Amino acid sequence: MFYRVPLSRRIFTIGNVFFLTFITFLCIVPFIHLLAVSLSSNVAASAGEVKLLPIGFTFEAYHFLGQKVEFIRSLGVSLQRVVLGTIISMFFIFITAYPLSKANSQFRFRTWYVWFFAITMFFGGGLIPTYIVVKETMLMNTIWALIIPGALNVWNMIMMLNFFRGIPKEMEEAALIDGAGHWTVLWKIYLPVSLPSIATIGLFTIVWHWNSWFDGIIYMNSPDKYPLQSYLFTLVTSINLKMITSDDISTLQNLSEKTLRTAQIFLGALPIMLVYPFLQKYFVKGMTVGSVKE
Amino acid sequence: MARKSVNLVVGTVLTLSMVLAACSNGNDNKQGSESPSASAPASAPASSQPSAEPVDSTNYDPLGKYEEPLTITQVLSYRPPEDPDTLKGVTPETNGYLKDLKEMTNIDVKYLWSVPQDQFQQKFSLAIASGDLPDVMMVDQQTFEKFKEQDLIADLTDVYEKYASPTMKKVVESDGGLALQATTSDGKLMGVTTSYQSPVQMGYIRADWLKNLNLQVPTTMEEFEQVAEAFVKNDPDKNGKNDTYGISMNKNFLINAWGFDARGIFYAYDSYPGGWLKGDDGKLLAGDIQPGTKDALAKLQSWYSKGILDKEFALKDENKASEDIVAGKVGITLGEWWVPNWPLNLNKDKDPKADWIAIPLPTVNGEPTKTLISQTLNEIMVVNKKYKNPEAAIKLANFYLEMQKPKYIDKSSPDYRGPNKGYVYLWFMPRLIYRNFLNDAFNAVNTALDAKQEKLDIPDDFLAAGDAALFFTESKKYLANPRDNVAWGIYFSRVAKDGGFGLSKKVLDSNTFVENEFFGVQTPTQVERGASLNKLIAETFTKIIMGAPLDDYDSFVSSWKKLGGDDITEEVNEWYAKNQG
Amino acid sequence: MIKHSYLGSKKAKVELPLHLMLIPGVIVTLIYAYGPIFGIVMAFQKFQPASGFFHSKFVGWRNFEYIFNLPDFTQVIWNTFFIAVMKISLGLAIPLLLALLLNEIVRGWFQRIVQTSIFMPFFLSWAVLGGVMIEVFSLNGPVNSIISGLGLEPIMFMAKNNWFVSIIIGSDVWKGMGYNMIIFLAAIVGINASLYEAAEVDGAGRWKQMLNITLPGMAPIIILLCTLSLGSVLNAGFDQILVLYNPVVYESSDIIDTFVYRLGLFDQQYAPAAAVGLFKSVISVAMVSISYYLAYRFSKYRIF
Repeated sequence: MFYRVPLSRRIFTIGNVFFLTFITFLCIVPFIHLLAVSLSSNVAASAGEVKLLPIGFTFEAYHFLGQKVEFIRSLGVSLQRVVLGTIISMFFIFITAYPLSKANSQFRFRTWYVWFFAITMFFGGGLIPTYIVVKETMLMNTIWALIIPGALNVWNMIMMLNFFRGIPKEMEEAALIDGAGHWTVLWKIYLPVSLPSIATIGLFTIVWHWNSWFDGIIYMNSPDKYPLQSYLFTLVTSINLKMITSDDISTLQNLSEKTLRTAQIFLGALPIMLVYPFLQKYFVKGMTVGSVKE
Repeated sequence: MARKSVNLVVGTVLTLSMVLAACSNGNDNKQGSESPSASAPASAPASSQPSAEPVDSTNYDPLGKYEEPLTITQVLSYRPPEDPDTLKGVTPETNGYLKDLKEMTNIDVKYLWSVPQDQFQQKFSLAIASGDLPDVMMVDQQTFEKFKEQDLIADLTDVYEKYASPTMKKVVESDGGLALQATTSDGKLMGVTTSYQSPVQMGYIRADWLKNLNLQVPTTMEEFEQVAEAFVKNDPDKNGKNDTYGISMNKNFLINAWGFDARGIFYAYDSYPGGWLKGDDGKLLAGDIQPGTKDALAKLQSWYSKGILDKEFALKDENKASEDIVAGKVGITLGEWWVPNWPLNLNKDKDPKADWIAIPLPTVNGEPTKTLISQTLNEIMVVNKKYKNPEAAIKLANFYLEMQKPKYIDKSSPDYRGPNKGYVYLWFMPRLIYRNFLNDAFNAVNTALDAKQEKLDIPDDFLAAGDAALFFTESKKYLANPRDNVAWGIYFSRVAKDGGFGLSKKVLDSNTFVENEFFGVQTPTQVERGASLNKLIAETFTKIIMGAPLDDYDSFVSSWKKLGGDDITEEVNEWYAKNQG
Repeated sequence: MIKHSYLGSKKAKVELPLHLMLIPGVIVTLIYAYGPIFGIVMAFQKFQPASGFFHSKFVGWRNFEYIFNLPDFTQVIWNTFFIAVMKISLGLAIPLLLALLLNEIVRGWFQRIVQTSIFMPFFLSWAVLGGVMIEVFSLNGPVNSIISGLGLEPIMFMAKNNWFVSIIIGSDVWKGMGYNMIIFLAAIVGINASLYEAAEVDGAGRWKQMLNITLPGMAPIIILLCTLSLGSVLNAGFDQILVLYNPVVYESSDIIDTFVYRLGLFDQQYAPAAAVGLFKSVISVAMVSISYYLAYRFSKYRIF
């Protein structure tokens, strides 16, 4: 494919590569910094001296974390949450988006349903009533409290709906004429060609579940049920809020454990970064699927 | 307005002394306390309680055992145990204290939920709103007032009278009845708590830098400024680089300040932001708009322009500001007694030459500068009105204080119960905090050190045993090895006569302080306008320090008054008229 | 009427599975999204947790009056609006540009690395990034060393209103650009490849192909994102501003959410916060409805 590439194109490509490399650098610098801090000695980190390379290189923070029960336990909760939550959410999104992607002529009450869902993106009852509802539906202190209330993310559902709309209608129509039902169409025709959007929205759902921390703190009755990010959050903020002349010795010493905190933050972001390239492959595959059709 | 809001302080102070008390615990089969006899004047009729209490009704034993197991529910403001030696695998439910409590009194503590400290307020509000209150809880003053108003909490007058151990009464009443009075209304005691007073402001300065530059320890404001300026210009660390500045400061230098701030400078000019001072006419005046405020701002402004203050203080919070101290970029910081414990000790780790000394606030007119002292309530223990056995809550409090007795805290004692045996004090409630623990521990430890004792010898009814024990061990460690900076941090903040608390004590003993006369709950206008007024102060003052015209202060005063300051002053004075004497 | 004739009709029978598919979503939404909406009454109450929704006193519009009468509220609304609109527009334009540029790169390791890296900042919270940002833009930070390297005066970025707002907007775009970029990339990937082949045969260059095939192919998703983004014209990014702002830049960066947060910090003012929330919701719904209508009216495109 490389024959006869015009000069202007080459110049553009070189410029483009430079530009994208620069952007890439901007985006990973904070991670390099965090990694460097987590690998530095505590004194250097507390003095704010560490930039992009570790000072007083040590694995101590990671070593310590490896033995820290809370960290490992909450990692387990998070994994459970991500797996269960993503599967359930994708199921909800998938079967909800399908009917709503139909034309009004195909599905009479479509518009009503759509607005029924869309309104909830902008109106919420606020924290206290939501809490009460979760409590009254007996989800309190179970992992379901983190999964069920947000199972149908309307934003993601609408995106899925729009992907569905782009799917060529010929096969679907043919199938319906042959007497296949909507369920068959959904699983046999839509599912296989929706891989790119499933990968995309699946990734968002994974990230969302992975990063949520507030619901964990609110709905779980004890810290040993916290997902990782809830646990990390309590680490990060306890530094800002503890304050006010507490003469608690150990607390003040904890303040200085900057390397440890940073190591946990870094490890907290790591699994999801590892998932990403895996799903990314799917985008490419999705494309082949898309072009084979037709 | 800016009263460093009561409840803010209350929340965190709880953890205080407790750390030190970290050891302790009950022994397996002690029943009753050492001191039960005195506690119960058997006169009051037991029938005033709908008590299921099967214990002999004439003997109100502070730690009496129930025949049937009694459950009491609580919620826990969770923090991980701090002692690295804490027994592995201990959870709040398996805390050694709870086991001992069960054995001693047959009370089962059940946690409805626990949540990390920072999120406690939020989670607790949700619990309140959804109507799930535990049997016994610790609340701040605002919540206390609301609970009282809504008739949610039990009258504890009787049970306190009958069941509180002598130790507990001593702890609660160690402030001369201030806390009792604050939780009593219409003659009924609705909650139990203790009070504490806000710490004294002082300065810390690098003595090795003074020596490098041949300077004296500053006492007046001019000397202070000269030293600070020399720290900027004359390369105090002798590293040949122009990389130091004078005084550490962060963006919360006045409102909600807790360290590395400028409160001390305002105090030096008789300006007491956040405080309410008694005027000549007997009325209370807002400390924020005293004439000295403008002078203090002028001084800070000139320091900023000379580079004495960090050019970017307005961007930095306390943690960020502390980095400069640790890194050895700054030679002076203003703060409270605990500063040596963090971050000065870290600076010594980094730079073995670093030598910090504590100094009183600089004076402007030769008179010693007076620090502002506020009386503040710790969290208040209240009991759910629906709970049948309110005396059990008192017993819990008794139990904890009992566990602070020297024999449980002394590591060499057979009764010793510490974190390594699974006893985590952070997970026990209620913990009443003795007001003078620092003071008493300071005295005891210094006496022992002066007498060159090898072992700290304290009487059985000593209320700060845990603190004293820890201070003593750490002091010994430091004195044996001056390079032990962790030990130095504790020694120099709590024990050294010229250290953090030592200096505070001098200030308190010599009465060189100003009392904040207002210690009620926030007035209605404070609630409505407080945030706006705080914003106004922070914005105006920060800008002036960074170079805005000083006269902006005058227009600030009039908008402050107009935006609610005048109303608040009126309300505070109403409160004062009602509560005076 | 309609309903009656619909029920039992042949159409209804065909559509029945569609209704059935919606049941799980409808149930969850009814319970967990509509259920809590009763909490809106709080905006009209003097709400106290201990009294709950049923026993708190109703105060009519008082909470709204209170909020709107607070000093600086107009300024705060303006700040919110300005920051949010800038974030929305740049937050769409830049990822679109990146997606197009990335699409011009031959698929391979380079593209994968770029794509992954650009998404990475999305994983970090502002609580973590805040400290790093302040360092980067501090007087001794890397940005200022470049500036002084060029012989210019160092700038106190975080303490100058204009700079500060630009940094707020820029860093938010930076942090979120991976997210929208993926959506755009997935849309590009979904475009029928035969269209490009046909264009190639017609001798259209890359530039032409982008203008005539790629962009039109992405139009649905672009319109969708624009419309939905309008729902957040009053969300200027609470976490971010909270960790980055300081008193010197209050006048340009105090937004509704930080404002309410400070109210709440002082005393737990749930009711005014609920009033603000309701106000924001109403504005959002209005904005989205209008743009939904406009999109339909002018491009015949139905967003949802």
